[in-house]
Amino acid sequence: MADPEPPTLDIDRHLKYWKMCLRSPLPGAYLSNEGNRMALAYFILNSITILTPSGSERTPLIPPEEKRQIREWILFHQHPGGGFSGTSSLVFPLYVYDEWDSEAGKRSLEHSGLANIAATLFALQLLALLSDEDNAEDAFKGVDRPKLLRWLKRLQREDGSFGEVLRLLPGKGWFIAGGNDMRYCYVATAIRWMLRGDVKEGEPGWVEDFDTESLAGYILKTQTYDGGFAGSSSEEPHAGYAYCAISALTLLDRPSENAPAHHPSATLRSHIRSMPGLLHWLASRQFVYLEPPPPPPGQDPDEEDYQVNFLLPASVASLALSEDDSQTYVGLNGRCNKCADTCYYWWVGGALASLGREELIAREPARRFLLGKMQHRIGGFAKNPGNPPDVYHACFGLAILGVMGEEGLNRVDSSLAVPVETVRKIERARRRLVEGDKGEGKAARLASDAVSMGLGSVGGRPSWLVGVEGGA
Amino acid sequence: MPLQGKAAQKPKTPSTDASPSNPLPATAPTAQPAPAITVAERTQQRTDESRPFEAVRRKSGLAALPDEDRAAWYACHFARSLPAKRTRLPPKFQRELWRAVNDAGLPLRPLPRTYSWGIDRSGQDVGRYPTPRFDERFAKRTRLTELVLQSKAFRERRDRLRSGSAEAGDIITDSDIQEERLRRSEMAKLKSELYGVVPEGGFATDPEWDDVLPLPVEEPEGALATISYPAEYATAISYLRAVMANKEYSARSLRLTETIIDMNPAHYTVWLYRASILLAMALPIPAELAWLNAVALEHLKNYQIWHHRHLLIDQHHPTLASDPAAAAALAASERDFLAQILAHDTKNYHVWSYRSYLVAKLNLFADPAELRAVDVLIDDDVRNNSAWSHRFFLVFSDPAASTPGAHATEHDPAVPQATVDREVAYAQEKIALAPQNQSPWNYLRGVLVKGGRELASVEGFAEGFVTGLEGKSGGKEDVRSTHALDLLAEIYAEKGDRERADLCLRRLGEKWDRIRVGYWEWRRKCLEV
Repeated sequence: MADPEPPTLDIDRHLKYWKMCLRSPLPGAYLSNEGNRMALAYFILNSITILTPSGSERTPLIPPEEKRQIREWILFHQHPGGGFSGTSSLVFPLYVYDEWDSEAGKRSLEHSGLANIAATLFALQLLALLSDEDNAEDAFKGVDRPKLLRWLKRLQREDGSFGEVLRLLPGKGWFIAGGNDMRYCYVATAIRWMLRGDVKEGEPGWVEDFDTESLAGYILKTQTYDGGFAGSSSEEPHAGYAYCAISALTLLDRPSENAPAHHPSATLRSHIRSMPGLLHWLASRQFVYLEPPPPPPGQDPDEEDYQVNFLLPASVASLALSEDDSQTYVGLNGRCNKCADTCYYWWVGGALASLGREELIAREPARRFLLGKMQHRIGGFAKNPGNPPDVYHACFGLAILGVMGEEGLNRVDSSLAVPVETVRKIERARRRLVEGDKGEGKAARLASDAVSMGLGSVGGRPSWLVGVEGGA
Repeated sequence: MPLQGKAAQKPKTPSTDASPSNPLPATAPTAQPAPAITVAERTQQRTDESRPFEAVRRKSGLAALPDEDRAAWYACHFARSLPAKRTRLPPKFQRELWRAVNDAGLPLRPLPRTYSWGIDRSGQDVGRYPTPRFDERFAKRTRLTELVLQSKAFRERRDRLRSGSAEAGDIITDSDIQEERLRRSEMAKLKSELYGVVPEGGFATDPEWDDVLPLPVEEPEGALATISYPAEYATAISYLRAVMANKEYSARSLRLTETIIDMNPAHYTVWLYRASILLAMALPIPAELAWLNAVALEHLKNYQIWHHRHLLIDQHHPTLASDPAAAAALAASERDFLAQILAHDTKNYHVWSYRSYLVAKLNLFADPAELRAVDVLIDDDVRNNSAWSHRFFLVFSDPAASTPGAHATEHDPAVPQATVDREVAYAQEKIALAPQNQSPWNYLRGVLVKGGRELASVEGFAEGFVTGLEGKSGGKEDVRSTHALDLLAEIYAEKGDRERADLCLRRLGEKWDRIRVGYWEWRRKCLEV
């Protein structure tokens, strides 16, 4: 029996949900994200941008004056030691950073533990999302690129992986915190791609790169026996980590301009242990969603057992019975034998798109599941069927639809997780930023030459100057 | 002025107490007033009582009073005005006047005609309070004054101690601090009740935090993603910022991290700050682990807890290196705790990540208890892929029976063939329990690759789940596991039988696993290459 009314994407309703998230404080349930407000801001602005492609007839939700204010707010989170903090509660008055270690002649950088790698990516994405066609070159104006890239390099561990923050632990020295988390490896490559540019060594504005080979080696080693990718080689594969691994590898050698997310990545293709295994594992994340049975009388329907939607068919044959797929719902999970969740359509679908293998996704049934089971009547998408929406799932639900070319939405870049038109703006903004650094590099060199000349007669350098140079 | 002094000695109470020893003038209102209802009414009564003829005079003029009363009123009125007049009267006249005043028994100093009791926290006129409520308020104010004085004494004493100018007897014990804490919470409560001052949470009233100037969060306009969180959280964060900025590593800052973790365990910076405090103060790690157990059980979904635990074990481990018994005890207690936490969520990613870290750190690969623990979880739920993954790691990454650094997807000659046999049998046994469960199929394939065996070595096993594919062998087509058909396609391709491989893939896409038709078609294309 054909489905008479296929579910549709109600763009206005989604915009209404995002307008609410933009205009009113988020409810107390978001408290656990207080340390990651930059991420929440990204979910909000990214979704609004996906929903309003340039040339769309809808009036912009955010007037230019307000965009300027939001920019200021984002830049307020930039840390004096490089990078961005995830929340204003980790931004301190400047005097807090004003500490001098007279013996080492260095500015104490303990507080650079407050800049966070993920927040830094979100902040850069936000700056680009806020820019318009006529001012995209200036999107990264105010970002201290050399400091940020030097800080990023310090977040790399010896094994090639990345942590999220740096912290000076008493008696232990610098500690790269954050666990074995593939997300930070991905974020590092995305930041690098967005800011580094094709500056050659010796040119002004050049900053020493992090060790891309050891990062690629680390990532490739985390492929597991069943083809997926995990946080480290000793863990269970996970779709979020697989997305991060693939995106990171493709970003490492993505051309800096006008390349699609699925550009032919030599790093990925020539070094991956098992591409067939990876595709097998990614394709296996899809399953037929079966309607849970009504709870038996007296059973609380909210009880977790009835919210789990990974139901096993009574037999394999029941999967094959229907010749008509028009009412099949396909959910995606993040790990084998786990339940469906909106965000895994993004992580799995995005990974396949970056590999140029969208055809491995059951697009219509997956879309039907997203729109029919996860879309909420107030707008937005939920994590599981029947749940209220949240900004994370609502954003990634739209993002994957944007990757898959949903009508009326901005096309989304599957590696950088922003609309393709925003990626073009990032490229313009990077060009301008690098040009500026080259100019400043010249000026700084002139100044330093002058200082050296002046000091040649005195001998030695004042401690404050050593501090300035060593402080970054 | 003698007159005044003498007059002042006389009891001139405004007759609030209507005791018989102080008879009122004959024509003064004799009926007892109705019991006062509000404070303002009681005040009015008292005012009236201090001005006995006032009501009559206001209403009908002095002429309406009997002669005797009128004379008394004049006498009093005149006597009252004497100080202002500075008139020196002949002594005899003075004696006469005061006698008349005393005989009249009238109050010499009447209460002011209007009196305001002020307004309370809700803007209500206190004068309109019923008297019992007013008395209660009065008692509270008295109590507050008392507490403020005691608290002031405490602060002065402590300031003297801090500045090194202590006087004899200036000591502050823990019980003093505890008393002060109670006192302040009582003060805050009273202030709130009396004046509507909202208490600022535990810190502003806690003597332990008096010397800390909180650093409230400020952000420019244009802020996105503000969260409506409770005032207590904002207060705690502003104190956290203050102690972090000062790099304070103390018992109180450790307690502060606990307060914030309790409200928001996902705040990674608090955990790092807590770790700094532990290290700086060299606090015992086992105690912290015990505390962490309770926190982890309370916040099951949180993962910062597991990073913290990781860090603690890293820190603690070197102290156990020379003590195998202590290391074994730690392994056992950690395993117990992991069992407890996995009972709540058998697939918690962060718990399993931590577990694999622990196995490597404490070298538990060959520990039979570890493999048994995983077996129990697989027996309990054969679809628990986390447990399967952990088993693979445990068996094939044991440094004693594998090549260090060997990749998970590669053949490792160092793995004993007996181990491969055992694991193949284990996977097959579990597949038999639930053929459509992908976990053991993935495991089986992984084991074969690790062991360097051909996939064809399980061809017969896999074929047991597929009969009569497209009626080839005459019977009805039946597939009990799509994963078997998937593996068979690979086996046939490995053997060079492209036709049969293609048939398996085609039937998967056409009938047995239609949602993945795109994938099966892609596999078919790969066969052509």
